[in-house]
Amino acid sequence: MRLIARQQAFLAEVAAADEAALSPASPGMAIYRNAYRARLLSALETGFELTRRWTGEEAFAAAACHHVLATPPGSWTLDAYGASFPALLAELFADDPEVAELAWLEWHRQQAFAAPDRPTLDPAELAAAGLSEEDWANLRVTMAAGFAALPVTTDCTALWDHLTGDAAPGFQPSPVAGQSVLVWRVGFSPRHRPASRLEHEALAGLAAGQPLGVIAAATDPAQLGDWLAQWLSEGMFATASAAQCPEAAVLAES
Amino acid sequence: MTTIPPFTGFGLGLRKEHHADFLERHQPVDFVEVISENFMACGGRPLHTLDAVRERHPVALHGVSMSLGSPEGLDRAYLAELGALARRVDPLWVSDHLCWTRLGGHATHDLLPLPYTDEALAACIANVIRAQDVLERPLVVENPSSYVTFPESTMSEWQFLATLARETGCQLLLDVNNVYVSSVNHGFDADEFLAALPVGAVRQIHLAGHSPGPDGLLIDTHDAPVCAEVWQLYARAVARFGPCATMIERDDAIPPLPDLLAELDQAREIAAQESLAPCA
Repeated sequence: MRLIARQQAFLAEVAAADEAALSPASPGMAIYRNAYRARLLSALETGFELTRRWTGEEAFAAAACHHVLATPPGSWTLDAYGASFPALLAELFADDPEVAELAWLEWHRQQAFAAPDRPTLDPAELAAAGLSEEDWANLRVTMAAGFAALPVTTDCTALWDHLTGDAAPGFQPSPVAGQSVLVWRVGFSPRHRPASRLEHEALAGLAAGQPLGVIAAATDPAQLGDWLAQWLSEGMFATASAAQCPEAAVLAES
Repeated sequence: MTTIPPFTGFGLGLRKEHHADFLERHQPVDFVEVISENFMACGGRPLHTLDAVRERHPVALHGVSMSLGSPEGLDRAYLAELGALARRVDPLWVSDHLCWTRLGGHATHDLLPLPYTDEALAACIANVIRAQDVLERPLVVENPSSYVTFPESTMSEWQFLATLARETGCQLLLDVNNVYVSSVNHGFDADEFLAALPVGAVRQIHLAGHSPGPDGLLIDTHDAPVCAEVWQLYARAVARFGPCATMIERDDAIPPLPDLLAELDQAREIAAQESLAPCA
């Protein structure tokens, strides 16, 4: 048997969804089959510990098994397994949207924790750069390590606080409208907070490379000023550059 | 391609449970081994921890996803990231396993067995040479445990490994526990395995524990202390191959660091006894 054919047959048996359709596994094949499934389930359990506590063991296990069978891992790192699990939870728990939103938050905090390092833009340096009005309009930023944002329909950040705090019985997340949740990392610490949908859209534009002037044209000036001050103080940006301003270009290297 | 300088120290696998211990103070190990994939394409606290540990201890990079037995060749992006990590860490060596882990876009995260055929050997030789070219250093290849054999195999695992080392110049990471586990599972003589490997090719030895599995099989679980039979096989390995870098590999049910350091001292004692034993 050619090597690739052997491996195709082996993998088909190891990852089979319908074990009943297979011929009885040898004890050795059973070891590989069990190890494959157990490893992926363990990765989901570890990566979504809070979600598992919220849904309960049985419901989580069923969702995790579904994911393992339907979504084979594709990356060389097991840390990447689970990226699409929140989307599956959104389908399976359609009547409980906080489940998928909590899972998203949990996933992205973990990703932020180990995301490749980026600098943190120093607000004092930006202030001292002496940017002209045109420079500010042209200013582009790069985002902090692990930056991600999601529109939400529940106060999943309150749910997070509940599960990582006293976890008193009887808590129920409330529905919210026009809100998002932001995740990013400063130093070694992942951070998250709720944000308005408008703030999310402004940050999404900046993250996509739009200059600040474009964002400003679509935003109340006072609101943008408050947001900018907050973003800078929170370490939301890694670098900033205004293409036509040599001093500002230095900020891109900080 | 650089060569691997001689190194015969005693080390441990660096595990999350012991990061604080290693960050707090120098530990009585000659090196640590890390799982390469845990530090590739990452940053934050994990990479900072690796950098800090590297300041105190030599590090060996041990991978689990290179898939040397893949007839599709190696993943270029993976090799690039591993190369970047190796340049950052300046490891003692870079190792991975004689196995396959992926097929097409499906990464299994398991060390899957190869048939020992000329075709599989040719694929492994090509992949090892490719990896060594990209990494600019000899690769160190570990024998995995196995739970099945294939009817199309035309040679033994040890013949396969010995030929791989000879044809590529790679070195070998002799996992003594895996030899023992596989010898029980497949009914071969573990000493015949050791006798077939070129003396100068063994760069490192792994020691680990295992667990009973179905139908009398042993499973390489790395969640228990090294058993007496593996210690005895280790002694015979040291007698044959001479002093080698030796590591206790504990991946689950991680005990406190002092327990593993005590187990490592057992390895030191055995190796010391073998070095004093008269030649046969």
